[in-house]
Amino acid sequence: MGKQVGFYLDLDRCVQCHACEVACKARHGIELGITWRRVVGMWVGQYPDLVNRTITFSCMHCGEPSCVDACSSGAITKRAEDGIVVVDRVECIACGACAEACPFGVPQFGQDGIMQKCDLCVDRLAQGRQPACVETCPSEALRSGTMEELSMVAQARPLAGPTQPSMWVVSDKWSVLEPVLPWKSDHPAS
Amino acid sequence: MDRAVLSQDKSGERIVPTFCAMCGPLAACGINAMVRDGRFVGVEGMREAPNQGRLCPRAFAAPQWVYSPQRLTHPLRRVGQRGEGKFQRIGWDEALDIIANRLVQQKQEFGPESLGILASARRTYADYMYRFLMAHGSPNYGHSGICAQQKRFGFNYTLGMAPVPDLARSNLILVWGKQPAFSGAPGGQLKAILDAQARGAKVVSIKPSMEPDVALADMWVPIRPGTDAALALAMLNVVINENLYDADFVSRWTYGFDRLEAHVQQYTPQWAARITGVPAEQIVQVARLYATTKPACILHGNGFEHAPGCTDAIRAVAILMAISGNLDRPGGDLFPAGSTMPAPRGVHLRERYTPEWVDKLLGPEFPKPFQPNVEGTSSAYYRLLESVLTEKPYPLRTIIAPGTQPVVSTRGSKNVMEALKKVDFFVAINVMQTAEMDYADVVVPVATMYECDHPFEAQDRWIMARNRVIEPLGDYKSDYEFWLDLGVKMGYGADFWDGDIEACMNYQLEPFGMTLEELRRHPTGIVYDPRPMVYEKYAQVFNRPSPRLSKAPFLPQSKVALYNTTLEEHGFNPLPEWREPPESPTATPELLERYPLILSDYHTSKAYNASWLRNVPYLRELLPHPTLQIHPDTARARGISDGDWVRVESPHGTMRIRAEIFPGMRPDTVMALHGWWQGCAELGLSDYPLLDGGANTNNMYSVDPAKAYDPLVTAMSSQTLVQVSKEP
Repeated sequence: MGKQVGFYLDLDRCVQCHACEVACKARHGIELGITWRRVVGMWVGQYPDLVNRTITFSCMHCGEPSCVDACSSGAITKRAEDGIVVVDRVECIACGACAEACPFGVPQFGQDGIMQKCDLCVDRLAQGRQPACVETCPSEALRSGTMEELSMVAQARPLAGPTQPSMWVVSDKWSVLEPVLPWKSDHPAS
Repeated sequence: MDRAVLSQDKSGERIVPTFCAMCGPLAACGINAMVRDGRFVGVEGMREAPNQGRLCPRAFAAPQWVYSPQRLTHPLRRVGQRGEGKFQRIGWDEALDIIANRLVQQKQEFGPESLGILASARRTYADYMYRFLMAHGSPNYGHSGICAQQKRFGFNYTLGMAPVPDLARSNLILVWGKQPAFSGAPGGQLKAILDAQARGAKVVSIKPSMEPDVALADMWVPIRPGTDAALALAMLNVVINENLYDADFVSRWTYGFDRLEAHVQQYTPQWAARITGVPAEQIVQVARLYATTKPACILHGNGFEHAPGCTDAIRAVAILMAISGNLDRPGGDLFPAGSTMPAPRGVHLRERYTPEWVDKLLGPEFPKPFQPNVEGTSSAYYRLLESVLTEKPYPLRTIIAPGTQPVVSTRGSKNVMEALKKVDFFVAINVMQTAEMDYADVVVPVATMYECDHPFEAQDRWIMARNRVIEPLGDYKSDYEFWLDLGVKMGYGADFWDGDIEACMNYQLEPFGMTLEELRRHPTGIVYDPRPMVYEKYAQVFNRPSPRLSKAPFLPQSKVALYNTTLEEHGFNPLPEWREPPESPTATPELLERYPLILSDYHTSKAYNASWLRNVPYLRELLPHPTLQIHPDTARARGISDGDWVRVESPHGTMRIRAEIFPGMRPDTVMALHGWWQGCAELGLSDYPLLDGGANTNNMYSVDPAKAYDPLVTAMSSQTLVQVSKEP
């Protein structure tokens, strides 16, 4: 297998501005009610001793994507050249099995019923540019690149999980945040 | 400018370099606007601009805003009763004729000062409004009283200039009453704070709630809204009594230290703890940390300007900067060196100010001896509206409101509404339907800045021509052309380039030695060199002339005014003191039984600008409902769960709003976002009532002339006491 492209997020720089989310929606013309990138606040502790961090995440183009395994029509594939997980919207039969399988709630279904999600702006990557979400990030919290390049960033650690998400994370508070990641628990989210 | 020069890429998209306009017309972030088949379809950040390609969420939603069904496309004349919403379509010329005829008639009958123009936050059409008022003869430019001028006044008359924090070299940054994440983040200040932390600088955030940027700070000082002056005065008490100040700077460059020292003895940390809700130990800790970490700087925001103690808070903060030895030193609070870029020739007509002009001001925003201030002469926005009801000292007869929505933008919404019902003539000028448009006699639509090829914008050391992205979608012109056209109709054509907007632009570009068309040949504009920074420019800055008619310097002793003889001369306290909001736990403890919680509001959010943009679906999805942020325990005690509709009642009004359980809120405080009224049809969300029972925070506050205002700068209080209950 070739290289794997993914994301990097410094949670100690993300300020929950949602520029990434709306840049993505505008770039891809995403319908109302659907977001390919979600921005979620997490709280730990009691006033005034609180930890509050924000995670922004989209499809994490997992090393072992459970959606690909779950897709009976073969519409979801993992590209050999860069590991990006893409959906062929003609082949998709809208069965929803991918959404069941994904631990992160990534696959979404709009008015046409066909699965949609982040494609890591493959067309922009082909032009040597960054994905729309990364290019706009005012705090330079979000980056993308090959997992090897991103591993060079100090203190980055992979987001652990059985599907091997292609995402590096950084935070001084990671040990208290990990249990309250949005796909793990019910907690006040913004 | 690789992409714009190409101008047409392979996909058939035309790329137009221009400015983002979601914060209104000003030298905003640079964008490349994408046009396909004559339609504005997308936005990307411009790398060559100061925002270096970065944009906030608003920028990307611009096409939805431009093509919104709420856009005004042709001028309207009211045919029904005020508030009924019955209008007749008219043409641009006819609209201007109606306005001009009324203004001519009123000028003869009541004098030209019977016209007031309400300003939004300062945008680049502001000086055209000043020019029109000057040509017409009215000093009544209505300035908000909660804008950057309030802070600037306190800094100017204490330090001679408002300093800017040297974030890149500081070892301690106090972020005080400032929202760097949701307001102007692409400009680079946010990144500078985070980069400073990454190299080991500490950040202390002084704000009532743990917003996402506060959460990243090294220390949070959860202060009660509106009590910044008390905190700053207590910090002065600690810094002075513990001898943590720069004695050499104090003796050489400050005036009145002994009197300040005696004065601040009353402001102990224990005294301030009772008012601010910040524990005395933390006040001492912050004061010591600030005074002993070198260098340190203070990033100050509009939060100061929403309290009747605004000026004294700023004076105390300015004095902290000075006596701590951080003024105009590397890593401290700098007096900017400026750049080699020339200043465009102004259109303001400042040279025509006279004492008689100042004397005619209806409700001076700054006391008359301090007029004109930096931006010109001004009356306070709210006081102009109030004059219609009180007729004191004389009533306005015409109100023109360009790009501003009085009922949701200033305090005292009920009075504002009554004034709009009563005033002889009300003109609303906007790109979009407004909250109180049904009360207007004439509604004038104007172009969004994506439909304009002017004005050019100049800021710091960057000047760029604005390029037209799409042709206007309706029968309208720009804000700028409106004032030129109206000037011509009024017979003031000689002052308005006889209506020729290009001549007006070229007039302003004279110092650059080029025309607008020549500037346009630089697609991403021209960047000038910065001037080399020189530190400790005290002799120069402490002698700066003020903009008053006398041109007397801001600082008569050419030293930092710890003891302020200028203010004393005009009957104000020479030393900063504490002034309570109209209602607070310490000002009005008798109200706590009925109204036990403090209410204040945010003016900045991740999705919107002030009272705008709620109708833009991509932005409305981010914050779909007006919410009241409330601490979990405070909510639980009232049986309130997240998302419940709640009733908020103050001594002045009520709101109906949704509860947002917010762990990072002081338990004694609740906060809402300012500016809610507009619905979003695409998401099935209706407009809210403008007054009681809606979500308008401005309807909740006191406008008592004796309590609600800062006596020097008319900053208006955004604090009151409330009760919150679950809706049955």
